[in-house]
Amino acid sequence: MLSSNMTRVSPRSIVLRKNSPILSFIRTKVSKRFLNKSQEESLPVYQYTSGKNDKQTKVFTWGLAEHGALGEREFLKPIRQGRRPVEYMHRPYRLGFADENEVTDIAAGYGFTVFAAKSKKSSSQLFGTGLNTDSQIGYHSVRKDHPLELIVEPVPIHLPHDKTSVAGVACGRAHTLVLTGKSEVLTLGHNGYGQCGRHIVENEDYQRQSTVHTIRIDEKISQVACGQDHSMFISDQGSVWACGWSADGQTGLGHYNNTDRISKCVGDIVGEKVIKVTSSADCVLALNDKGQVFGWGNSEYGQLRLATSEMQLHTPRHLPLPSSLGKIVDVATTGTACLILNDAGEVFVWGYGILGKGPVVDRSQEPTAIPLTLFGCNEFNSEIKVTSVYGGLSQFAAVTNTGDLYIWGRNRFGSLGLGHLHNQFFPIKISIPGYVKKFSIGVDHCVALCKSYV
Amino acid sequence: MKNILKLTLAILKPDVVKVPFVVQEIRHRILTAGFYVVQSRSVNLSHQEVEHFYSEHAGRFFHQRLVTFMKSGPIHVHILAHPEAIQLWRQTMGPTKSFITQFEAPETIRGSFGLTDTRNCTHGSDSLASALKEITFFFPKFNYEEWSEKHEPLLRRGECIIDNSTFTHRIK
Repeated sequence: MLSSNMTRVSPRSIVLRKNSPILSFIRTKVSKRFLNKSQEESLPVYQYTSGKNDKQTKVFTWGLAEHGALGEREFLKPIRQGRRPVEYMHRPYRLGFADENEVTDIAAGYGFTVFAAKSKKSSSQLFGTGLNTDSQIGYHSVRKDHPLELIVEPVPIHLPHDKTSVAGVACGRAHTLVLTGKSEVLTLGHNGYGQCGRHIVENEDYQRQSTVHTIRIDEKISQVACGQDHSMFISDQGSVWACGWSADGQTGLGHYNNTDRISKCVGDIVGEKVIKVTSSADCVLALNDKGQVFGWGNSEYGQLRLATSEMQLHTPRHLPLPSSLGKIVDVATTGTACLILNDAGEVFVWGYGILGKGPVVDRSQEPTAIPLTLFGCNEFNSEIKVTSVYGGLSQFAAVTNTGDLYIWGRNRFGSLGLGHLHNQFFPIKISIPGYVKKFSIGVDHCVALCKSYV
Repeated sequence: MKNILKLTLAILKPDVVKVPFVVQEIRHRILTAGFYVVQSRSVNLSHQEVEHFYSEHAGRFFHQRLVTFMKSGPIHVHILAHPEAIQLWRQTMGPTKSFITQFEAPETIRGSFGLTDTRNCTHGSDSLASALKEITFFFPKFNYEEWSEKHEPLLRRGECIIDNSTFTHRIK
């Protein structure tokens, strides 16, 4: 039955009228068939490019969405009906804000994110999103005297001078440091330990605080960095300055008292040209131009065992690393462990926690290597090296020369971006479509600044 | 008289008080664990008050760290009631060191929300004697004898509802 039905429909039954669209379509197809194959090879190929030739900057965020730190309004306040708010984003999410504005720097704190960006709509070059209970992303209110404690998408932060250019940003637990183009530092947020570099006021209500404090020192400030509750600055001369919480000696000023006055660090780093200082909780590592590493602050998990057996260190000390490690080019810390990178692109780790070497929570006294195989280096890709390392409270991350991001550690609220909530015990690649240029790990979310492939 | 309610003192430390999501989660865990909230208040402690409160830790290496941390912002203080109040609250909180607890007991409050060993979300009394001492410190007007006579039997029978604005159980 079926076959007889099918024969009844034949191509001949289609009647072609003059100038019908079907006929003209067939004609164009036919005309192409007469093209000379050998001639086709010699014809020029035109590749049209868009007016914007440079690679596009993209920003990806992932982790806990409840604070608003991911910068996507849809997660907290869905516009479409029937959609439920997103509790956490377990994979990298491309932020629309970065497509409209040219983001130059990023920093993640506890529940908030700060962007340095050039915008067409706003004269401010600083934007923030997320938790704002200490005015860490500026004073924002809809009604007078009712400051917003949560901001769900990036908003401009108003700085004292409207056209202040922003060169860099850094975030602590509840404060923000902004490096301006004039080598000054602006501070916002919680100042209970003096981490904003201004006088500590007893029982100050930081939520209603609209003050943006300006820090100037005798030298020009070229870099800023934050621990959880302290601030560090590197001058263009290479000296390190600090203020804030120092109960573990993390300011490196030679005492355990909180300091609201920004002062120059003492100890072994005096006279050295420091190129990087880093801290994610209370342990600090610094790196000089010769590739030597210095440490101070908390050492409860043996992070500074190479220099001291004490639990706390208030004076920066040189860490005598084995000479076989070579020249160190990057450093990172978690709350309990340290990670260093040498000029051959190899990484070494010590301390306590998920160190990235196996399926257990580990403790290591000495710097031990993480095999480069885990970063994708193998027979077919022998050129792969690690180029920079980053640390969060209990997570580490590394970026390779191919622009890939590898991450390992505790997966607090899906903040590793792996698509699940389990801890990751060895470095694993995160699927981000782009070359990762800068990465920042907050307490329960991550932010990556990328360049597109094309 | 086995299920007679006992008291403990719970403190939410400055690191979580400023994070509404975590405060909400911890309150939820307090209620699901079966605690009755007898009284609550928010307070800013002065240096002397914290020194006095943590006088038992004087001389330990972390003492100054703890004192400066506790006075860095507002804290929430709750009197919690449960037949096994002290033990249950310590179990809900998890061990002190957050960096270790996050791997060994990730389901506890400190395991989920603790930042560092000092910024470890919560405090709990370690014995009935110290609970009463700490309650008198924060709630000088609270009369334990009067409470156990009048309010305890009502709470035990469940004749109360939670008032979310003050986060206390109100007798019906």
